[in-house]
Amino acid sequence: MKRLPLEGIRIADLTMMWAGPYATRTLAEMGAEVIKIESPRAWDNIRTLIPQPGVDEPWNSSYYFNDYNRDKKSLTLDLAHPLGRAAFLQLVPHCDVVIENYRADVLDNLQLGYDVLRQVRPDIILVSMAGYGKTGPERHHVGFGPIIEQMSGLASMTGYGDDGVPFKTGISYGDPVAGKAAAAAVALALVQRRRTGRGCFIDLAQREVLSSLIGEAFVAASLRGETPVHRGNRDPRAFAQGVYRCAGEEQWLALTLRTREEWERAAALLGIDPALPGGPGDHDVIDARLADALAARDPQEAFELLARAGIPAGRVLDTVAIHDDPHLAARRFWVELPHPRMHPWKQPRTAWRLREADPWPRRHAPLFGEHNDEILRGLLGLDEARIDELRREGVIGDAPVNPGVG
Amino acid sequence: MEAPTADPFPLDAVRVLEIGGGIPAAFAARWLAGFGADVVRVDPETEGLTPDEAVYLLPGKRRVQASSPGDLLALARAADIIIEDGPPGALAARGLDPAALRASRPELVIVSITPYGQDGPYASFPATNITAFAMGGIMSLTGMYQREPLVTGGSQALYLGGLDAAGAAITAYFGALISGEGDWVDISLQESMAGMLELYGPRGAYEGAVSIRSGNHVRAVWGLYPCADGYAGVCALERQVPALFALLGDPELDEPRFRDPLERPNHDDELQAKLYAWFGERTKAELLELGVRHRVPIGAVVTPRELLDNPSLRERGFFDTVETPDGTARIPGRPFLGLPWRPGRLNEPVPAADILATWSTRP
Repeated sequence: MKRLPLEGIRIADLTMMWAGPYATRTLAEMGAEVIKIESPRAWDNIRTLIPQPGVDEPWNSSYYFNDYNRDKKSLTLDLAHPLGRAAFLQLVPHCDVVIENYRADVLDNLQLGYDVLRQVRPDIILVSMAGYGKTGPERHHVGFGPIIEQMSGLASMTGYGDDGVPFKTGISYGDPVAGKAAAAAVALALVQRRRTGRGCFIDLAQREVLSSLIGEAFVAASLRGETPVHRGNRDPRAFAQGVYRCAGEEQWLALTLRTREEWERAAALLGIDPALPGGPGDHDVIDARLADALAARDPQEAFELLARAGIPAGRVLDTVAIHDDPHLAARRFWVELPHPRMHPWKQPRTAWRLREADPWPRRHAPLFGEHNDEILRGLLGLDEARIDELRREGVIGDAPVNPGVG
Repeated sequence: MEAPTADPFPLDAVRVLEIGGGIPAAFAARWLAGFGADVVRVDPETEGLTPDEAVYLLPGKRRVQASSPGDLLALARAADIIIEDGPPGALAARGLDPAALRASRPELVIVSITPYGQDGPYASFPATNITAFAMGGIMSLTGMYQREPLVTGGSQALYLGGLDAAGAAITAYFGALISGEGDWVDISLQESMAGMLELYGPRGAYEGAVSIRSGNHVRAVWGLYPCADGYAGVCALERQVPALFALLGDPELDEPRFRDPLERPNHDDELQAKLYAWFGERTKAELLELGVRHRVPIGAVVTPRELLDNPSLRERGFFDTVETPDGTARIPGRPFLGLPWRPGRLNEPVPAADILATWSTRP
């Protein structure tokens, strides 16, 4: 089997919630050994974000947590405790990368900033991914994905157009975008270390990464003072574009007719009159005819009918239908992994599909503190007495302290 | 704490060939160019980028016009990384069969970005930003329940493919540095999004329950509201709810129906009404200040134009400037601090021979 690019790379993962764990899930799938570190007192809130009344060990049985933390090892360490901090500083020399997405001041408050880490591992790569970065007047703002989307400029660009209301994306969009960029930053820092022998401190601001996905809007703003115009689902570059209801409950088809010719071809396929009055109202006419023609059509059939004819169409796949999509199945995109507390479910592989190395999810998310012994005794060589002391002091644990609702 | 300025660019002397010319390949290659790679873009016969997109995505790249098959092959053979976003088979049709290129140069990294990937029943289907966004699942969650699903602004599906392509290209290149073996990376826009559906994707897979778009309010304490001078939002985790309630200062919020996290969803409309009133009386600046002071995650909807004057972005040196025939544009620059980045300028196309003169031999 071909070697994965990050085999042999070890990452100390202090990230929580979604942005950071999304990044390290990708890095793990690329071959890195990821050690997720949580304090028994301050653990990843994602574990219990979704209430599971009556479930034993809910912190180990969340599909949300377990989807984004597979292929990782779990080590508990209270970094705010002197013994926990000391154990962490024993671990860092064994690691290539430390990654965190705390609020900007937390790592320094723990006295675990870059200069401290560099003393124990001179070529360490530290990746911080605070919402607004480690510097600048906004560094103390608390930012989660939806907030980041507002502060990046993106939310101002989304809207139906007839009500002036900006819209959020239906996921906490800033998180995975920052996660993809942070994974890229780790790889880039590894390239740099390979070439120079030196580590680095990556200060990634989640807001800035998201702003870089709307670059052309900054061109329009800086050259012409433009502010975003909401166009709903339309696009002035297309002859017509929209989203239309199909048969069934909440079934929709997105369609772009790039040219008049594509409109005429789509009209022929769907049995629509292609003649248009001519003028600014044409798009409304097209929308009305498409809505009529598609209302009784099966969305998958309509999608394939149009797409096979070379017309850009796409089902608005919902969060169940996407797991049944025949194309993703043929691509072996979903993987079911056994988990000791849960029945299997379809988990996504990384989008970084290296065709030859063929990265593949290997193991379910770890149970809380599952790898304490392996890492503390096996990797760091701590003796029984020391591990007992860590346990007695609450620095490590097999269960979170006071687990409530995240 | 930044890296010493003596450091070279991390991708210095790395040769990147960008073929295709849409946003995905151009965005991926822009990051590589900024971090020092020598990016050569083969311009498409018909430019796929708008003028504004070109101002953002082309700085720092050398350009050649669609060149002869012989020139193209010579460029491909000299490259360390090829990034392309043509349909499956298009590269091979131009004489650049990825498998053959990989066989002749094992360290070569090829990254292909397509709507659906290189194989599978939809592989040959065309797509645009909105149709890709729909097939990736995010669109089903975006917009108001009472209306049609809504596409997020800009060209997010295309940019996400480019973002994944950049990360995968660098990772595969790192692998090639270690082992001498590159790879052919197959980025699908659909997969780029299908794996980032927050809790809703795993919920659909695990429980078989569809999550429906909920407009601007996942919950009252996780939503977007009109304020005195625009729109602002809050996104409070359970541990931050007490601080948010304290800010509102409404004694009713001490009652169990609002305090109890399991009870609160049954009174979400009532809570939303209180938040509408509270946000409505305050400006964006006031709300942001209250958020940071009381550690409540509060944001405000700002436009790109407002961000051009943002003090944080200014202090952190986020924007690059680029000279255009229409004046000086300011564009997002380095995606993160800590590794050397170089702003680029817009270049005119040159003959392929000019590139090959420097690329024909390895340094």
